[in-house]
Amino acid sequence: MFSTLKSILGVVACAWILVGCEAAPPPTNLAPAKEKAAQCVEPTEDIRKNHMAYLMQHRDATVIEGIRTKQHSLVECINCHVTPTRADGSAVHYEDKDHFCASCHTYAGVKIDCFQCHADRPDLASQTNYQHKLGSAESYHFSTKLSASPALSAQDMQAITSGVVQ
Amino acid sequence: MTSNQVNEYRRRFMAGLGLAAGATLAPNFILRSAQAADVVARPDNEPASSAKRWGMLIDANRLTDGGASMVEACKREHGWGNDPQASAEQQPQWMRVVKVTDKHTKHSFTLPVMCQHCENPPCVDVCPTGASMKRADGIVYVNKHTCIGCRYCMMACPYKARSFVHEPLKDQKPHSPRGMGTVESCNLCVHRIDKGQLPACVEAAPHAVIFGDLNDPESRISQALKALGGTQIRADLGLNTGVRYLNI
Repeated sequence: MFSTLKSILGVVACAWILVGCEAAPPPTNLAPAKEKAAQCVEPTEDIRKNHMAYLMQHRDATVIEGIRTKQHSLVECINCHVTPTRADGSAVHYEDKDHFCASCHTYAGVKIDCFQCHADRPDLASQTNYQHKLGSAESYHFSTKLSASPALSAQDMQAITSGVVQ
Repeated sequence: MTSNQVNEYRRRFMAGLGLAAGATLAPNFILRSAQAADVVARPDNEPASSAKRWGMLIDANRLTDGGASMVEACKREHGWGNDPQASAEQQPQWMRVVKVTDKHTKHSFTLPVMCQHCENPPCVDVCPTGASMKRADGIVYVNKHTCIGCRYCMMACPYKARSFVHEPLKDQKPHSPRGMGTVESCNLCVHRIDKGQLPACVEAAPHAVIFGDLNDPESRISQALKALGGTQIRADLGLNTGVRYLNI
């Protein structure tokens, strides 16, 4: 009697433990990215499984060799997947559950240390057009480019030769 | 002749040459606005090449504020200099204005000092992990992914150009990652050079600084160096710096 009760309890306990395993990963917030492109830079299954490898590979190519392609760049991932602020205007940081990276990493129990140094949200001041569509001409990558130096006026010449810095 | 007499003779000879002291950047070298022609953008997928070597020529006479505006531009660009928990001595410092006074004559001048981007960098020599590195195009910086924060490079650098981040940081600039436990220094704004822009400090003082490729004899900086010379700080160390000065 007691032993059957014990075995029943055991089965129930096992079932109870296994209930947690049924839970699917929480949905990641893909809305900001979906607005900009139908497709990620790699097929979804691939990028879910291998994004860390792509990032590491690109990281070393960029820092050591100076290769700055956009496809696997962390800054571009963040620009696409993270909105600078929530609807209420508060900043989204990677410690928050609703940050794109954290939404899955907290579930998987994998710590990311990228954001100890790297920006975890787009910076509006330095990238006014961070919302650019994938593959479009990124208009936030221009600076004051002049094809030729402007001709010096007589006034400029006088200022220069008199040694007074404008 | 004793060596003293020889030196005396040399001094008089040099004085007799009547070398004009204090040549300043001549009008044909002067910039009124940042000129992107000095830096040509590389294609995204192309690594930096050793065919180029980036350098800078700073005319201390033409810096009206001694270089303070250059330092401010650097702070704005990279977001350093205002770490909330650091004391004044601990604050990172990628660039600073140094005032030099001759003890004897009391003559003094100021100059901005940052990483000098040596050809033979002592910081790279001593780094135990290879984090302190020189890129193919001569830019010296820290690969923070491999830096363990040992600070050997800070001791090795004769220019006091490197500093250490002591505290967790938030909201760094996307193009300039900075983080606790790593050493950092001027990186000549690699992110800008790669896009074909001038470093932030050069854009802040276009009338006093020439930036460009030291390996190209036709570049404006090479022409200016050829015509005017230019001084290395601590030239005695034989590091062959990429940053040179006039009128110091």
